[in-house]
Amino acid sequence: MTMDRREFVRNMCYGGIATFAAPRISFAQVAQSGRLVFVLLRGGFDGLAAVVPYGDPEYAALRGAFAFKESELTPLDDTFGLAPGLSPLRVMWDSNELAVIHAMAIPHRTRSHFDGQAILETGLDHPAGSSDGWLNRLLQVMSGRRTGIAIAAGMPLSLSGPFQVESWSPTQLGAVDDAFLERLAVLYRADAALHNRFEAALQQQELVGEEPMARGNARRGGITPLMQAAARILRQDQGPNIAAMEFSGWDTHANQGMAGGALDRLLGQLAEGLVAFRTAMGPAWQTTTVVVMTEFGRTARPNGTRGTDHGTAGAGFVLGPRITRAKVISDWPGVGQNALYEGRDLKPTLDTRAVLKAALSGTFDLTAAQLDRVFPNSSAVRASSGLMV
Amino acid sequence: MDVALRALNRFGLGARRGERQRISDPRGWLKAQLDGGVPSLRAGDIPSPGAIGDAVRGLRMPGQRDEQERREARRHLVELSTGEARTALEARISSDRPFVERLVAFWSNHLCVSSGSKILVAPLAGSYERDVIRPHVLGRFEDMVLASAKHPAMLAYLDNFQSIGPSSPGARIGQRNNGAKRGLNENYARELLELHTLGVNGGYSQTDVQELARVLTGWTIDGIGGPGARAPQGNQPRRGNGANGRARPEPGSAIGFTFREALHEPGTKTVLTERYKEDGLAEGEDAIRALCRHPSTAKFVATKLATHFISDDPPAAAIDRLARAFRSSDGDLKIVARTLIEEPDAWREDARKFRTPQDWFIAVMRAFGANEVNPNAPVVLRQLRQPLWSPPSPKGFGDAMQEWADPDSLLNRGELARTISRQPAVAAVDPRSLLDVVDVPTGNPLHSLIADASIPAPERVALAIAGPAFQWR
Repeated sequence: MTMDRREFVRNMCYGGIATFAAPRISFAQVAQSGRLVFVLLRGGFDGLAAVVPYGDPEYAALRGAFAFKESELTPLDDTFGLAPGLSPLRVMWDSNELAVIHAMAIPHRTRSHFDGQAILETGLDHPAGSSDGWLNRLLQVMSGRRTGIAIAAGMPLSLSGPFQVESWSPTQLGAVDDAFLERLAVLYRADAALHNRFEAALQQQELVGEEPMARGNARRGGITPLMQAAARILRQDQGPNIAAMEFSGWDTHANQGMAGGALDRLLGQLAEGLVAFRTAMGPAWQTTTVVVMTEFGRTARPNGTRGTDHGTAGAGFVLGPRITRAKVISDWPGVGQNALYEGRDLKPTLDTRAVLKAALSGTFDLTAAQLDRVFPNSSAVRASSGLMV
Repeated sequence: MDVALRALNRFGLGARRGERQRISDPRGWLKAQLDGGVPSLRAGDIPSPGAIGDAVRGLRMPGQRDEQERREARRHLVELSTGEARTALEARISSDRPFVERLVAFWSNHLCVSSGSKILVAPLAGSYERDVIRPHVLGRFEDMVLASAKHPAMLAYLDNFQSIGPSSPGARIGQRNNGAKRGLNENYARELLELHTLGVNGGYSQTDVQELARVLTGWTIDGIGGPGARAPQGNQPRRGNGANGRARPEPGSAIGFTFREALHEPGTKTVLTERYKEDGLAEGEDAIRALCRHPSTAKFVATKLATHFISDDPPAAAIDRLARAFRSSDGDLKIVARTLIEEPDAWREDARKFRTPQDWFIAVMRAFGANEVNPNAPVVLRQLRQPLWSPPSPKGFGDAMQEWADPDSLLNRGELARTISRQPAVAAVDPRSLLDVVDVPTGNPLHSLIADASIPAPERVALAIAGPAFQWR
């Protein structure tokens, strides 16, 4: 009665019972060797506190008591330095695997988290009631091997849509045996709306189940353990190659602090998590690109509660060996009063979609027409030049 | 489709075994639940206002305590907040008026606070649902929103308690004392417009957000010290002030809402073309009532209700009917609830709603006939990604299938079902009796698996609650 789990899952997924097999069948005319991880920092992270424009003559006056001194920073060039918490990223900067993007914003002006995240995740240029996520659209339009996975608590909008994707996150809910799963699969096969999803779950279970970071062993919380788990999934030769991850806690309206403060500690976790991911990927890191973005930057000046409010342009990161070299990509608008957007926010000079298009075309074999389908109404938005090899 | 089961699962919080047979008139059964006020919680389970105050203050002044005091404060906080969560969960699990309890959960999520991003909310969230949501779920929407605006949990969660009118006397004092500029925080004003009343496309501007924030300056928390705490008044020990001007309230004292004129931005403000002359506290009350009566609010609230009670993509006609009921009754939520019961689309066979993790867990407990929950229940809900009173953002938890029916979550439910089914308390459950709480057509494999005596009974119980039929309401 009890079947070997590997054999069981193989039967389920490749044996003609399930229809889920499509993404795993190689159509093979395009070899997709790349891997993409899209990390969304939910809440609007303060780009000016993370990638600090210490060389801008207006910066110190702008942030006042909240301005970092040059000596606290990891300098990137004459203008920008990484905040203390981000100092672990120096290793990637030194190995030409880190591009820092600044004064970047989504293509529509909003200070709403929900509109902002929706625009960033749908890849549209306006908030829409409902839409596929751009990662799901990527899966729909690209050819060759492609499997998407949410390594997150819940399904991010960016991956939502008709193209079936997988999901994984650590759990402590208890172990299940194969016989039980097999019977449960019989039940799920009778539910047209859910059976593909359940079989995708079994397939993912198979992929990570034998790893040290098995479901039952992982602890939730903390960026580094989750990034390491993600690496165990993504480094597989035939595993998922398009992943969405997300971290929250960036909505720093009050007491965001300086070096060692609340925001800086979170930045520290992020930087350590990214470095741990790179290590855990092993040789697969050579084909991997990680993009880190947020829905909006924050107000240029601190607010009345030692924090910052919802703003406009902010910073992001593109990491991986496929970038051209370590560099800051920014058409820097400056932070003098007249340079600010509506007199209060960092002015946007770069469209998130330009960066995403560049990251995608540097990671996967994609045509310009396919990229325009991933980001509708974006044909006027050219991929940022000089970002990717 | 079994109509009684639809009433129990869709409108209620999940059928108990043997319950469907007792309901001959499902719509009448639901309507009867709306009479007789909102059921109250067991008095013995409710912490005192002073205990809540202590827990909040314990979080506000960690630097002034030694290690043992901090540990004690931490223990007090955990005990209090998990106790509150259990009380609320047990009300949902044991209720004989589960439609009203579903409405409590719905409105609590609509006007949510979250301890996920603000630890200060943790000791206050139970009181928030008990004192803000419960009394008004069958009352007026605007009374609920006003109560929410004045509760310390909301004041803390969306920062309004720290928002200071830039031209107020309080702002000038702050500047003089420590050099840092105090001022406006527009977080609550924005979410009040975007998430509680008009909705994101409801027709307001950034200027409206800022003006509303000015209107609401001075709405803050009493009893925790902090900005705007009263200036020294003689030698009264209860207001013994430190050098930084912060009052230190007595241990055991309650915290609550207060309006501090000194922090209120003076002058006339304009929100949504309505001018509000300087009128202190009344300005904000008038503005909030006006927002609640705005036509966009009726549409926004109706859409959310229809999405919760009908389907992820509810028909426009149903939304219109609910919005009309809301508008013509001035936001009488009892009338709106009756309209929901009468809504034909909510009873259509093909309209299914996927159970959120909280819905699923509570339905499991009800199916087993439980009246109380394991102390671990709040932790379990966290592991299912839907901790009580801790949504990831002020938007609250979504309730669409797309958000919850991802592969990993289905497997999670299987894992938890297996764990629960091994517990001794569940051993007495006859697996076949669980067919009573799910709607499965003849020929569905659940019938044969549940009857298969070669499978151990606990495993069959787990299959019943982890299987797809139990995931829908």
